[in-house]
Amino acid sequence: MQGRKALRQLLSLAPSSKYDMEKSVALKKKFSKDRLCEFLCVVPALAAILLLYHYPLTQLVRYSFTDWNMLKKTYRFVGWKNWKWLFTTLDTNGIVNSFNVTIIYTVCSVASVMVLGLFLSLLMSRKTRFFSFMRSVLFMPRYIAMSSIAIIFLWILDENMGVANYLLRLWGAKPVPWISSPNWAIFSLCMVNIWKNLGYNMMIYLSAMQGISKDYYEAAALDGAGVVVIFRKITLPLLSPTTAFLLVTQFIGSMKVFNIIDIMTSGGPGEATQVVTYKLYDMIFVQYRIDRASTVALVFFFLLMVVTILTMRWNGRKVNYDA
Amino acid sequence: MMLDVDYRRRALTARRLQTFFAVLVLLVMFFPLYWMFMTSLKTADEVVSLTPTFVPSRIQLENYATAWRQVRFLRVIFNTLLVTFGHIFFHMTTGILAAYGFSRGRFKGRDALFIIVLSAMMIPEQVTFIPVYVMIAHLNLIDTYTGLIFTGLVSPFTIFMLRQNFMAIDQSYLDAAKVDGLGIIGTIFHVLVPMSKASMVTVMLISFINGWNSYFWPKIIGKTDRTLLMSVALAKMKNMFEGLASTEFYNVIMAGVAISIVPVVLLFALNQRYMMEGYSRNAMK
Repeated sequence: MQGRKALRQLLSLAPSSKYDMEKSVALKKKFSKDRLCEFLCVVPALAAILLLYHYPLTQLVRYSFTDWNMLKKTYRFVGWKNWKWLFTTLDTNGIVNSFNVTIIYTVCSVASVMVLGLFLSLLMSRKTRFFSFMRSVLFMPRYIAMSSIAIIFLWILDENMGVANYLLRLWGAKPVPWISSPNWAIFSLCMVNIWKNLGYNMMIYLSAMQGISKDYYEAAALDGAGVVVIFRKITLPLLSPTTAFLLVTQFIGSMKVFNIIDIMTSGGPGEATQVVTYKLYDMIFVQYRIDRASTVALVFFFLLMVVTILTMRWNGRKVNYDA
Repeated sequence: MMLDVDYRRRALTARRLQTFFAVLVLLVMFFPLYWMFMTSLKTADEVVSLTPTFVPSRIQLENYATAWRQVRFLRVIFNTLLVTFGHIFFHMTTGILAAYGFSRGRFKGRDALFIIVLSAMMIPEQVTFIPVYVMIAHLNLIDTYTGLIFTGLVSPFTIFMLRQNFMAIDQSYLDAAKVDGLGIIGTIFHVLVPMSKASMVTVMLISFINGWNSYFWPKIIGKTDRTLLMSVALAKMKNMFEGLASTEFYNVIMAGVAISIVPVVLLFALNQRYMMEGYSRNAMK
């Protein structure tokens, strides 16, 4: 900033002597050299980002118009064939199913995590040592690898030997086929995801609540508002930027689920938990169809983009920001 | 007076209820980790008994030794650390330089270029992995450390976080550094980096945890034991024991999982402040 200002001043002042002129030219050179150096600073990162993020995206578009199946060294361009395949064989190719499963998993886990996280942040809000310790414990699963968590839950939810069904039997309830039933499997996976992310949502909501000015609460209390009214009319609206942020990130995070599926169910039973990423993995490393997988990946990417942009626009319009 | 006592009593009951439910939630949430740890200490007979015990009747520490041998943890830990430190190195070098350029640079199109970084945060790895995998295969980097590190050359999240921090540092410090004759590199490493130590630690910790926990790329790129990373090794161990069609090995499996979790839990306990802050301030990941 400073430099730009100095440069502008320098340019606007007409040099009065030859000496000044030389000086200004030298300074200008120095500035442009500095700028070049600053630009060079961002080059490595930009190059890597373009190489790992944007270039692959363009490659995906290219692959989706070819007939490449990875067993062949070369490929031909076949026009819209893959796109036609995608939309004409919707009944048999299982793509619709994988999108459905992914969306069920996402909606189920995001909705629960948001509501329960908000509830927990109210429950855990006390400012004592003991509560702060409990909050840390609740937050910890966020850092544990999803694959480790998946293995732990595979054992807990084991149909015969698992402790979950043991407790249910003690209770007098029927044991639940957590993983082996197509109806239950996806919700069992949701549960694991909820367990992992609940503490995180709690922490984010808590820190957002601490940011709300006390004045609002005092004013509301003076007006005689009850606890519930205060929560609904003050806390909740002022938390909406946080809610929007959590919604977008958790939505995308859940849509990209892979580890837990791969370890706990491998997409089964049947195709009950075959989420999109697992389907893509299957198409490439089992069926070797890069062309078709690229097409599906693009549709998936498009869906993610649309939802993200919609949420952001909603965020911009409806969300209350603390003035 | 009566009213006051009544109110106080009610407040006390409310507090007790809150504590009660908080502890209840904590117990439920902590149970899976507790169960993992307890199972890892049990004997095979106790693992498969139809009435599970909540505290092992006989502690069998050999499970850890068995898991250590089975997974060949020394090799796996070495691999994982190597790749993870590779990621951290590249995340930090590209990240610090780029954060400087994007926060203090005066070149044309700076903010337009920054949009490239922001947009990268919205491009999921699970979509772009197809061409990146093809790229890695073409470079003959499948099943190599280089291939594994290649996928973590840069982290848009790190750039974003560090830029945020560099922008908050007052320009006068940079001017002073310039007067003292420091160049760009000197300014970055003697002024900007020391002044944003907290976020440096935070992003490094996040990179470490992401690397240590990574599963998707190691599974695709690491084909043999030579490049086996932690998460994939655990999944492999689980599959191997599952192939034996028995649940009685879950004590060993849980011991393996426990070993993999220990560093993360330790890091978390030691750097709680950094990690909580890092995630709650701007957790885009």
